[in-house]
Amino acid sequence: MAIAVIRFPGTNNEKDVMRVLASIPGGDPYLVPNYDGPGPLARADGVFIPGGFSYGDYLRAGAVASVEAIIDGVVEIAKAGKPVIGICNGFQILAEAGLLPGVLLPNKSARFVCKWINLRTCETKSIYTEGLDSAILRIPIAHAEGNYYCSEEDLHMLKGEGRVSFRYCNSEGEPTQEVNPNGSLDNIAGIVNERGNVLGMMPHPERASRAILGSTDGLAILENFVRATKAP
Amino acid sequence: MLTKQELEHATKVLGREPTETELNMLDVLWSEHCSYKSSQRWFHLFKTEGERVFLGPGEGAGLVDIGDDVLVGVAMESHNHPSQIDPYNGAATGVGGIIRDVISQGCRPVGLMNCLRFGPLSKPHNAYLLENSVHGISQYGNSVGIPMIGGEVQFDSSYDDNCLINVVCIGTLTPDKIVRSTAKTPGHLLIMFGSTTGRDGIAGVSFASESFSDEEDENRGAVQIGDPLAKKVVLDVLEELIEKELLAGLQDLGGGGLTSAAGEMASKGGTGVLIEVDNVPLREKGMIAQEIIISESQERMLAIVDPANKEAVFEILEKHDTPYGAIGKVTDDAFYTVMENGEIRARLPINLLVEGFPVPERIEEQLQMGSGSHAWLQEPEDHAEFLLRMLESLNICDRSWVYSQYDQHVQANTIVDIGENSGVIEFPKGKMLAFSSDCNSYWCLLDPRSGAANSAAESLRNLVAMGARPIFIADCLNFGNPERPESYSQFVEAVRGLGQFSHDFDIPVVGGNVSLYNEAVVEGEHKRINPTPQIMIGGIFEQGIAPVRRNLTTPLANIFLVGTTHRELNGSEFQRLTIDKVKGIPPIYQPQVEAKVMGAMLEAHKRRIMRSCNNIGRGGLAIALMKMIMNSEVGFTINADEIPGTSKTLTENLYSETSARYLAEVTESNQPEFHELMEENNIPITELGLVVTDKVANFGSFSISIGKAREVYRKGIAKFME
Repeated sequence: MAIAVIRFPGTNNEKDVMRVLASIPGGDPYLVPNYDGPGPLARADGVFIPGGFSYGDYLRAGAVASVEAIIDGVVEIAKAGKPVIGICNGFQILAEAGLLPGVLLPNKSARFVCKWINLRTCETKSIYTEGLDSAILRIPIAHAEGNYYCSEEDLHMLKGEGRVSFRYCNSEGEPTQEVNPNGSLDNIAGIVNERGNVLGMMPHPERASRAILGSTDGLAILENFVRATKAP
Repeated sequence: MLTKQELEHATKVLGREPTETELNMLDVLWSEHCSYKSSQRWFHLFKTEGERVFLGPGEGAGLVDIGDDVLVGVAMESHNHPSQIDPYNGAATGVGGIIRDVISQGCRPVGLMNCLRFGPLSKPHNAYLLENSVHGISQYGNSVGIPMIGGEVQFDSSYDDNCLINVVCIGTLTPDKIVRSTAKTPGHLLIMFGSTTGRDGIAGVSFASESFSDEEDENRGAVQIGDPLAKKVVLDVLEELIEKELLAGLQDLGGGGLTSAAGEMASKGGTGVLIEVDNVPLREKGMIAQEIIISESQERMLAIVDPANKEAVFEILEKHDTPYGAIGKVTDDAFYTVMENGEIRARLPINLLVEGFPVPERIEEQLQMGSGSHAWLQEPEDHAEFLLRMLESLNICDRSWVYSQYDQHVQANTIVDIGENSGVIEFPKGKMLAFSSDCNSYWCLLDPRSGAANSAAESLRNLVAMGARPIFIADCLNFGNPERPESYSQFVEAVRGLGQFSHDFDIPVVGGNVSLYNEAVVEGEHKRINPTPQIMIGGIFEQGIAPVRRNLTTPLANIFLVGTTHRELNGSEFQRLTIDKVKGIPPIYQPQVEAKVMGAMLEAHKRRIMRSCNNIGRGGLAIALMKMIMNSEVGFTINADEIPGTSKTLTENLYSETSARYLAEVTESNQPEFHELMEENNIPITELGLVVTDKVANFGSFSISIGKAREVYRKGIAKFME
């Protein structure tokens, strides 16, 4: 189905994402540059906000992009219950835009971090984690601001409603502090909105989508997303 | 500054005194950095042609044909001087500059590498330089969205006052999309776009062409400031311009700014240019012609456009909201003319401006060579303790503190991450290439010629160990002040060595750069860097060969030493660590043996009979073995008391740095074939021992727990940076 992949100035994962989406049966991605505004989103069955450094991460990661006109179109899509996914900078944008609770602070190390991490699928409530019950996924991260933080109330709510989708974990699946790569609260790596159709996550599933890259664990998440774009 | 001889020459050719603007233009284009006036006379020693060479050195990037209409573009450059003054911006704009070189040829950038040299981190200023230059590279490269796929970090006190930042960018394109940096057609327009022009980086190349004085902070204004967001937009814009075939020529604005970019395009095209500086988009008020024409502000490109395509080009530039201006046109008069407010500020013959300098005399002298004596060598009292010390030492230890700050996976084509013998990425049509960069500056200090050749051989082995066949070279030659005979002789000797290597192995040099004047006068004394010819080699995996990593994998498989070990510890890491200096004759360069072993190893890869494989390099056999277990789930038990060659004692066997050697892990069922293959090629192999499930590195007479080894290995750099 038609998937709008949004490119802001500074977005840099759009090609990687479109290549994987196009390889999934039923995935029909099309690029929407920010300067085209929300118009082209009208025909979208789902929206993908890829990673990168929108507006150079100036001000705060995702802050400038989150007030662009095109975001109004993304909000409409989300309201209509269609799937919206934001990876890395996409997650930062969704959080800044208020589509997801919490914020992504600079990493605890204060440095950019790129590495392979293990990810534990936490609750199975969302369309994105179907078939991944308690799976341990090997997926890379690459970010400077991935330290998830929210209020105690929000954390309580996220946990209570089963909305934490992914946590950083060790190879046994335990979310220990030693393997928390950025200082995220409760090892949170990805969350969904109340309705479960909007997912934000820091790790890059598109970079773990071909055996030659060392892992295909990310593909399942993207396949779930594509499948969800077909649902009525 | 122009020398007296150069000024007289210019005056004579012009038949008048040069104008202020002309003086500025000549100063930057005749600087060592732009003109290669001390170095170019030796480039004929490099092999630059070959059946895969699509475009040799001379433009933005060399282009290599890897078959099926896929070209690989490569460029390599230094950004040393700016980084010593302002490491964050200096290193970031180094990355920005090398990306521009590759995109100016029409390439899509697909990989970056960087080779860094600093003084020891025990000095806080060196830790500051490392922290900030890595941050600059990380911030810039990550933002633009190009994966970092390899590089080097080394430390020596000779870099205390002259750190080295060498950068590589790799790109790809199809032959029909090549853009050349020539201005062939009079009447075509010059359109500058990407960013505005300011006063940053004024005469940066001139400052890079002198030695540092004690007052280095005075040069801060000569350092450029990068803007990765603008660069990403330039990439998006170029993709459209190239796709729609709207460009008749393209050049980036790097060292020497507009003077260099337009001058070189006119020179290559046999034309002239007319620049109207009033049309250059500025970021500062009150800039005058002589500043605008030499500014090195970043993220700017200069396009040659047929007037018929002008509107189409403007439309794309407008859409992306990128600054641009139609700043002049190509002429047929073979002059570089600069106009301001309708008045001529400069009018220089192109053939004077570009390479019209009087060739300066440079003097070579006989370099002092050491002896082959090993009288200094003493066995370590405690082998286990010594090996741990070496694992923790700066030039051996884990580099992940550095490379974990670089995005290695963006573009989703990275097959082998940094930390292996070489980085591997996938190109279009399923082609895989490996990239490695090396330079052993201790060997080069002791014998620049053999040191350069042997550094290249080490780079070659890093590719071969993984299964890639080396196909092209790029280099960045970092040396001292060429006006001083000893420094100049080091440079010339190293070029001879690398030239010899390129012919011996039939691997063409397709790109490179020379950085001289890496000297500082500190309290009246000349401090020069060790000769550092940084050599990068690209290799291709032939059909059916997959990258083999160096981690040991299979308990009970045997570990073989391939090759002969000589008593060669002069210039070694062992020598430096035990007597705190290097001396003597470094390991010899042995092209015939190296080529023979390479052939056999590539054949072994083709037959898939090795589970893992490692090159033996810095730190010798002991370090090569340890690196095979730093990230694996197994250990080893070996005996290295007796191995083929003139190396006799355990210390010599473990730490000699003889070239043309590898380690291979081979399971029992593949051993007959492995033995046969090596025997056929007349290559001695030695079964050193076994892969074991115990987490231990057992050398027979001593052993180390892997846990302890990893602990010290991982903190070598990190302990200075936390």
